[in-house]
Amino acid sequence: MKKNILAKKIMFYIILVIIWQVISMSDILPSNVFPSPYEVGEVLMYSAADGSLFFGIGTTLMRLVVGLTIAIAIGVVLGIFMARVETVNQTIGSLVLGLQSIPSIAWVPLALLWFGLNDVGIIFVTAIGAVFAVTINTYTGVKNIDPHYVEAARNMGAKGTQLITNVLIPAAFPYMISGFKQGWAFAWRGVIGAEMLFSFLGLGFLLNVGRQLNDVSQVIAIMVVIMIIGMAVDGFIFKKIENKVMSRWGLR
Amino acid sequence: MVKLEIKGIVKSFKHESHKLMALDGVDLKVEDGDFVCLVGPSGCGKSTLLRIVAGLETSDEGQVLFDGKPVTTTGPERIMVFQEGALFPWLKVQDNVEFGLKMAGIPKEERNQISKRYLDMMQLTKFADSFTYQLSTGMKQRVAIARALVMDPDVLLMDEPFASLDAQTRDLLLVEMQLIWEKTKKTILFVTHNVAEASVLGTKVAVFSNRPSKIKRLIPIDFKRPRLVEDENLLGVQKEILSELRPEVKKSR
Repeated sequence: MKKNILAKKIMFYIILVIIWQVISMSDILPSNVFPSPYEVGEVLMYSAADGSLFFGIGTTLMRLVVGLTIAIAIGVVLGIFMARVETVNQTIGSLVLGLQSIPSIAWVPLALLWFGLNDVGIIFVTAIGAVFAVTINTYTGVKNIDPHYVEAARNMGAKGTQLITNVLIPAAFPYMISGFKQGWAFAWRGVIGAEMLFSFLGLGFLLNVGRQLNDVSQVIAIMVVIMIIGMAVDGFIFKKIENKVMSRWGLR
Repeated sequence: MVKLEIKGIVKSFKHESHKLMALDGVDLKVEDGDFVCLVGPSGCGKSTLLRIVAGLETSDEGQVLFDGKPVTTTGPERIMVFQEGALFPWLKVQDNVEFGLKMAGIPKEERNQISKRYLDMMQLTKFADSFTYQLSTGMKQRVAIARALVMDPDVLLMDEPFASLDAQTRDLLLVEMQLIWEKTKKTILFVTHNVAEASVLGTKVAVFSNRPSKIKRLIPIDFKRPRLVEDENLLGVQKEILSELRPEVKKSR
């Protein structure tokens, strides 16, 4: 069954590439506007060979990991506070909802003015794009905890931070995982966008260089890389964690 | 010796716009080592009374005395076993059982020793490393009971712990529960809506009236143990409980 699905997927992508190749060979569009998959592959090979591709991927992923880690740390703490203290929810909670509606790209000018053209600015944009999704999901998760868990834990002597680390966080974990997943998606879009505008290393920068050189092959090559990394993180990392959490928590 | 004294407990809830009187002056004296079963029509507030004794809820009037001292909050000497067990799905069976000990800051080795004894008693040793989703409802209830016993409480508060079990599993646990009680000499308050269950387990059965509830009658049962559900000796006392209970259930409809 599973093999069957995988076979279907592989077939689909092979056919897609063949159609792409056929269209590009048919000379409807000039190759500098619509490159063939072969040309795109060539660019990938070259940039892999001279190391620039991996350096770009590494730079972007480093910013992503740092930004997302900060977002998760702040988001989880804020989310728990909002869920446990009504005043915090009524005040900061409304601000969080407001801030969440700002696209992360819209933070770029502020980041540039505050931090300048460097890693810190890009990480700031990445983190702020993700933090509110983590906050809101953590809040929802803690709010939805079966009250019996908390009562049982209190009855057995858990209080204060003990209650938070031993009960609230693990009990809300299924929600928090969706928060992390959403946060990652926002962070990934944020980091690429910021890199394009900052024009300071990374995949977004390589994308921009491709545009400046009028090199459509490079632009498409980098887009393919961005997509593949995105699919890999979703499909391998988050799906695996999600499946494990869902079955252990008895939600599936 | 009186372990628990419940004096004039009054408790009401807000239901939409009006006040709903649940308990209206409940008095009950529980001796050390008593096994008191609370039966009554559904919604009569017997679970609420249990929660008040646990310190999970406060009463509007009256008080609960534990060893002569008023109860104001939860405490490790009064441990609750919830209807659905309320086990933590993110912990293995053994870690669930050790939870209270961990909160009390007892070192790991000592925790393992203590939990081993109770896992053994509840026939859970094979499942120590399982997660709760891998257990049947009967097994889960065993874990919940082990988790409570590990705390070595003076009083066990059990809120319909066998309500969601199938008949065979429940019969088995009814016998085990009696053995545990004889072995540990705990004082137990046990809420149930099942008259047979109450007659098998209890040294006393407290019958609640319909809302606003009081305790209508306290019926002592002293047949030898272990008692079985099919014991003919128990039929008389079951009839007696039912004759008190039936009119209340009718009123609650």
